[in-house]
Amino acid sequence: MHTEDFLREITAIRGLSGDEGLVADFVKAQFEPLCDEVRVDSMFNVIARKKGPGPRVMFAAHMDEIGLMVVNIEEDGSLRMGQVGGVDPRILPGQRVTVFGKKKLMGVIGAKAPHLLSDEERKKNYLREDLYVDLGMDAEKVKSLVSIGDQIQLEHRYTALQNGRVSVKTADDRACVAILYDALKRLQHIHHEADLYFVATAQEEVGSRGALTSAYSVEPDYAVALDVCHADTPGAPSTRTHKQDSLVASMGPYIHPVLRQKLVDTAKDNNITLQTAVVPRYTSTDADDIGISRAGVPTALLELPLKYMHTTVEQLDLNTLKEGGRLLAQFAAAVSSSWEDELWT
Amino acid sequence: MDLKTLCEAFGPSGAEHEVRALIKEAAIKLCDDVSIDRSGNVVARKKGTDARKPSVTFAAHMDEIGFIVTGHTEDGMLRFRPIGGVDPRVVVSKWVALGKDRTKGVIGAMAIHLQTPADRERVLDYDNLFIDIGAKDSKEAEKLCPLGTYAVFDTPYTEFGDGFVAARALDDRVGCLNLLEVLKSDYAGDLCCVFVTQEEVGLRGSQGAAFHIQPDIAIILEGTAGNDLGETPSRFQVVRPGEGVAISFMDHASIADRELFVKMQDVAREQGIPHQIKRAITGGNDAGSFQQTGKGARTCVLSVPCRYIHSGNNVAKLSDIQAQGELARAFLNSL
Repeated sequence: MHTEDFLREITAIRGLSGDEGLVADFVKAQFEPLCDEVRVDSMFNVIARKKGPGPRVMFAAHMDEIGLMVVNIEEDGSLRMGQVGGVDPRILPGQRVTVFGKKKLMGVIGAKAPHLLSDEERKKNYLREDLYVDLGMDAEKVKSLVSIGDQIQLEHRYTALQNGRVSVKTADDRACVAILYDALKRLQHIHHEADLYFVATAQEEVGSRGALTSAYSVEPDYAVALDVCHADTPGAPSTRTHKQDSLVASMGPYIHPVLRQKLVDTAKDNNITLQTAVVPRYTSTDADDIGISRAGVPTALLELPLKYMHTTVEQLDLNTLKEGGRLLAQFAAAVSSSWEDELWT
Repeated sequence: MDLKTLCEAFGPSGAEHEVRALIKEAAIKLCDDVSIDRSGNVVARKKGTDARKPSVTFAAHMDEIGFIVTGHTEDGMLRFRPIGGVDPRVVVSKWVALGKDRTKGVIGAMAIHLQTPADRERVLDYDNLFIDIGAKDSKEAEKLCPLGTYAVFDTPYTEFGDGFVAARALDDRVGCLNLLEVLKSDYAGDLCCVFVTQEEVGLRGSQGAAFHIQPDIAIILEGTAGNDLGETPSRFQVVRPGEGVAISFMDHASIADRELFVKMQDVAREQGIPHQIKRAITGGNDAGSFQQTGKGARTCVLSVPCRYIHSGNNVAKLSDIQAQGELARAFLNSL
């Protein structure tokens, strides 16, 4: 499968944090022909191994997605929403959703009409609590089909824009799962000494919970977490954003400096451009938890710049994504047991 | 002609050429006398045989709300403004299609992670919203979407729930659809169906139409804001989707002719057509033009209740759309 098709398909699959089973099935099926063994653990982490005699390396990208849940059904049949992960309420009015009740139901998110708002109210964004899902049905029918706790998925549309840029929901972080896939394909033709583990993790959006357990069971010598970071966006502080057209390697106390340098050297050797982000404390990615798994794991972080994170139009550059696959494959091939002596120098 | 095709045709106010061509083609199949007037309206006339019958015009607007490109930033983003009244709070994280080539674009916004508490509260206005087509710089953006390029929400037509539809531009392609139905009628008097331009930017096309048609009676087929869910108090639920076509007694542009207003209800009752009275004096539409242009006409407005009316997803009930067409035809037959 082309990496782009992988991205298109995986971003469409329903997989809110805590319920990643369907995404796990897809990842397992795609990774299996490229690996020696693939298993799905009790949290839905997909752990794929490509064997080698050398050090054990874990590459991790999360596959869960943010979304909504039904928290109340009103008298008129409209649904109130709670959130799974950080959903920006500004994206919701006028948005289509899918409600997973007894069957799949399309809904439209409605809001109190602007002409019914006071001047003060009009100056403010709607709160999630004020919005509702309209299923186009009477209350009785809604109640027969929908229960409190049912999941609500935001609209999936894969939109190809100019210059190989793509807008799609859940690019955070399935675009990085696509990087894992792209690297795995390349590694079919590249020799590697390392014992490689490609892990699609669960529940990152609610606190890197899948990374915690999968790192424990993989017990890696080194790890690289892959996640998205913010690409330049109008209005956003430029100190916290990066160019869309190349990958980012973060540095700071949560990132192992030598392992990071290995990543940077590999990029240089292969003419891959890397930007630097300086993160003074936690990175808010799986890297934070993998790094303190068991006795500690030297961990680096590779990031894909994404515009409009946590919206339905998250935008990435496909070329940057593929460069990620190339870098990861080359890095996997470069890992050597000799690195152990350099780690704390 | 089906509603899906009508709703998916491009036609923000001032750029109605595509929807106009589509409607003209459909009208020609139903009527010998179809023309485009000086305001860009499609005018379909059926000459009557009985001069004692009043001349009747039915009107619906074919334009829709949308956007227009007003500038390009150094990093290739498009500045834009709404065409018609589009609350900026419904455009964040939505898809748009621009110009003749339907260039794909998205309207993003700064990620929630980067927002200050003030950012979260403040409504992003059109000075701070951008269409992103993926262009690398202003030169590329300008080449693909020059100044003045029109855009619409890129929303597919989808039927859902129990007989509801979500689509772009139900306001007022539902009226256009039913106007084509009315055109099939055999009326003994002079009948005119006019599909007007520029309703959303100030009831402009209908003024020219009213001037040259000068009917005795003008019936406007519209979409009107229906707010019946969520926190809307019952006094603001002025029309309810699912309860039939709405008959207006008054809005901000016109007061319905009393006799027509009563007659509409009588006809609906006799024919068993689901109908409701619009329980408020809100909005305004092309009836104002017909009532006040030239010697003036007697007017009445029949509307389909639409939820989220000026957003990318208008929601209406198919049975209300059908009721609008049925009542329009039954009224004509009753004259």
